[in-house]
Amino acid sequence: MTGGTLAVRPPLRRPYRLRPARVGVYAFLLTAALFFLLPLYIMLVTSVKSMDEIRMGNIFAFPIQVTLEPWVTAWTSACTGVACDGIRGGFWNSVLIVIPSTVLPILLGALNGYALSFWKPRGANVLFAILMMGAFIPVQVMMYPLVRILATIGLFSSLPGIVLVHIIFSMPVMTLLFRNYYLSIPQELFKAARIDGGGFFRIFLQLMLPMSTPIIIVAAIMQVTGVWNDYILGLVFAGRDNLPMTVQLNNVINTTTGTRLYNVNMAATILTSLVPLTIYFVSGRWFVRGIAAGAVKG
Amino acid sequence: MCRWKKYKRTLLQPSRIETALRTVMTLKPKQLFRQLVSWAALLPLASTVLVAYLGTVLWSLKISFTNSRTFPSDQYVGWAQYQRLFDNDRWLLSLQNLALYGVLFVAACMVLGFLLAVFIDQKVMAEGALRTVFLYPYAMSFVATGLVWQWMLNPGNGIQQAVRQMGYPDFTFDWIIDQDMVIYTIVIATVWQASGLVMALLLAGLRGIDEEIWKAARIDGIPTWRVYVSIVLPMLSPTLITVFVLLFTAVVKVFDSVVSMTQGGPGTASEVPAKFIMEHLFGRANIALASAGSIVLLLTVLLLVLPFMLVRNRSTLARVEK
Amino acid sequence: MKLKLLTLALSTGFAALAHAAGPKAEVIHWWTSGGESAAVKTFSDAYNAAGGVWVDTAISIGEQARSVAVNRIVGGNPPTAAQFNTSKQFLDLVEQGMLNNVDDVALRDGWDKFLPEPVLNVVRVKGHFYAAPVNIHMPTWFWYSKAAFKRAGIASEPRTMDELFAVLDKLKAAGLIPLAHGGQPWQESIVFTAVLANVGGADLYLKVLRDRDAKAIQGDSFKNVLLTFKRLQAYVDKAAPGRNWNDATALLITGKAGVQIMGDWTKGEFAQAKQLPGKDYGCIAGFGPKSPYIIQGDVFVFPKTTNAEAIKAQKMMAGLMLAPTTQVEFSNKKGSIPVRTDVDVSKMDVCAQQGLAIMKDKSRQLGNGEVYLNPDQNGSLSDILTAYWNKNVPVEKVQKDIASALKN
Repeated sequence: MTGGTLAVRPPLRRPYRLRPARVGVYAFLLTAALFFLLPLYIMLVTSVKSMDEIRMGNIFAFPIQVTLEPWVTAWTSACTGVACDGIRGGFWNSVLIVIPSTVLPILLGALNGYALSFWKPRGANVLFAILMMGAFIPVQVMMYPLVRILATIGLFSSLPGIVLVHIIFSMPVMTLLFRNYYLSIPQELFKAARIDGGGFFRIFLQLMLPMSTPIIIVAAIMQVTGVWNDYILGLVFAGRDNLPMTVQLNNVINTTTGTRLYNVNMAATILTSLVPLTIYFVSGRWFVRGIAAGAVKG
Repeated sequence: MCRWKKYKRTLLQPSRIETALRTVMTLKPKQLFRQLVSWAALLPLASTVLVAYLGTVLWSLKISFTNSRTFPSDQYVGWAQYQRLFDNDRWLLSLQNLALYGVLFVAACMVLGFLLAVFIDQKVMAEGALRTVFLYPYAMSFVATGLVWQWMLNPGNGIQQAVRQMGYPDFTFDWIIDQDMVIYTIVIATVWQASGLVMALLLAGLRGIDEEIWKAARIDGIPTWRVYVSIVLPMLSPTLITVFVLLFTAVVKVFDSVVSMTQGGPGTASEVPAKFIMEHLFGRANIALASAGSIVLLLTVLLLVLPFMLVRNRSTLARVEK
Repeated sequence: MKLKLLTLALSTGFAALAHAAGPKAEVIHWWTSGGESAAVKTFSDAYNAAGGVWVDTAISIGEQARSVAVNRIVGGNPPTAAQFNTSKQFLDLVEQGMLNNVDDVALRDGWDKFLPEPVLNVVRVKGHFYAAPVNIHMPTWFWYSKAAFKRAGIASEPRTMDELFAVLDKLKAAGLIPLAHGGQPWQESIVFTAVLANVGGADLYLKVLRDRDAKAIQGDSFKNVLLTFKRLQAYVDKAAPGRNWNDATALLITGKAGVQIMGDWTKGEFAQAKQLPGKDYGCIAGFGPKSPYIIQGDVFVFPKTTNAEAIKAQKMMAGLMLAPTTQVEFSNKKGSIPVRTDVDVSKMDVCAQQGLAIMKDKSRQLGNGEVYLNPDQNGSLSDILTAYWNKNVPVEKVQKDIASALKN
């Protein structure tokens, strides 16, 4: 196979398609993109209109007069209670919650997946099955028992408490991701490592974990998005001094009988989602390219 | 194809339990220690499962047989809450809606996600931008995006109005105010939010497929669509199953979208179980009824998922032990 | 030089000590929007001025705020005060002994002398005062856009229910939306309450909601109420389901719709759009000289604690919140009326003044559904009403369903 014509040019990944088919591809993608972008367009347009314009009710119309005031208000002076300091207050709290709530679940998920797929201790699959069942329980149902449990161990209304709660709720998905990933790694590799004298943790730390970069990135993206946008758990378990940004966001957006400033609401939502969005954009390449190495495939 | 023969061989191998038993009975002390270590490492998992998950389910079960209001009480009332539950039109409708919604949502997400992944994989320009466009809905809080969807689907000043103003005075798109069609609007909005993630996961799986397959197919003269259906899809099946499980959990817990788009309306037409349970937990101060609802929901899910999990376990293990 | 520094340090130290002496109060409430925030600030300012330290924990949406309050009480980290509605929501807390009472303050300030009876009956449980009521909202005002009325050629306000229907017909003929409505269950309940109060009258109202009399519910007068309720639905535009109440008010503000049945917090939306009562919009409390004034409102409860400073904070707060000047200031910003009628009304807007005048007549004071029904019953009633509003359910079935829902 050496010196053949194949070595002259990098081979095309896919057979080159005929013109019409190519047009079809772009047509489909652009139509889909329009469908996906429509709500964002409305959000952006609404966020730069004045409330008088919004009351007229033409949601698709371009603003007659563009104003950036809603954005400034959302960040610095929207009312969230007695305080009217915008949504910026909870930013660092969210960061402090997100970091441990991403790192620890990933580590535990990896450990669980590793143990379940290679060591297969007896009865572990029953545990896994119950864990997956747990993924279907709505969060609110577990609220009261968890409050009592955390209160008993003294972690209610604290940063470690909210991190523990996030670990509990993310364990099913994290374990699922890693278990399936490790199932795709050949058993021979593992057996060879055992023969070489590797113990449980040695094989994990020195062999499996380094090989898991692709799936770690997938898990990180899912977890960061989930925890950053979490509202109800942070509200109940984090304690007053650690309330995440979503609490401020919800205070700005939601109200029962108060007036609604839709332009500020849209601006606030976009601002809050900038963190996960940035992470997608930046690691989007790894997300796909990394997994190309075989993360989620069978 | 020869893959089927391989699978057949693995299916006929001795069961895992037999192998495990044989292994344990012939273990040397050092190996036994290793097994214990792996069990110790699973301690966080085991304790979470037992205390948090199993514990909660058992606690909910207990509460559902009492007449607890805001706080748990010990007054036993037998099946009364379950009777009340199944006498309740709203609850029955919510289960119906969940079934309809579930099927449509999962199917639409998987089809759309797959198509998006396949088409993006065709070496298109601006792939990064397109990927972000399809993924951004996942990053946004549904409280605001749900409101936007409500505005868009509202016949008064949404899409219907806009198309009519463009010169089609008879165009109607008022599903959101129609008792029978409103659940489809929830499908549309949630598919919008979730397909991006499906696309990303499937794209990853696609990128992991060996290029040789495409070359071989080309040489053999197999049409592209046939390659996708008969070769690519089977190879993606573990990914597809993971995606399916993730989507299914989203279906059972659907709540935010209903609350922000329709508030369960018009009337109670777009009610879903999670919303019913939530409202009775807090707003209606009736945790007994809410617990009964969540137990029924969990049992339904269990009945549906169990066969799938058994099939998946066997096929994934069959692949590995080849 | 050193002496100067020392004195400076000491005096700052003492000043800091003096400031830190105030009792700290963490308050959970759900007043998060602009107008509400200004209102709750009157409380926090008053409390801080009296030497306390107000620690604010605002959580949007009442249901969420209340559930967090309950969870924190259960979890052993209770707030000093938590907001609830003038309703039976906090009865379970009282039953479980999770609240402190404020009997001293109530007796000292003579609450039983000026609180309206429906409110008094809510905050006084088994002879003890467990909540401090802070305002009275009336959910069933009839708002109308003067511009829309002008366009439809309506010269004067309707004074009876029949005149209201005539007005709605005229609006429809003029091509406007007669009744601006948001299709959400709680809004439908408001329309129902308005009809029950104005068409059924105070007696039927109390028989149905307070006494839950099955005979009254299955009777003909109540049937008439339900039919009138359903009749109003024909005047609502097709795009109403799911609409937020603010968007319905926006229809009035832009002159696209004529009438809206909504609470007095609507004034906030009008004010946001710089519209004035009497000039751009009108407010009708009810039809007829004895039309009831429906009472709902907010109260603060005080979770149980033995911490002396927290108890001091709770008592201070209860006293301050009901003080006449604070009451007027708060209600002005909130759109409600004070819980006491012995206040200076000159600073309040015309609609609020109208409300207070009506409140002086004790026979016209009626509580909202949640004052008499527990949350579960109230919710079941709301389910039946919203189904009736949106679907074609025979009225007899509705009566039957309501009777059985309110039975237990």
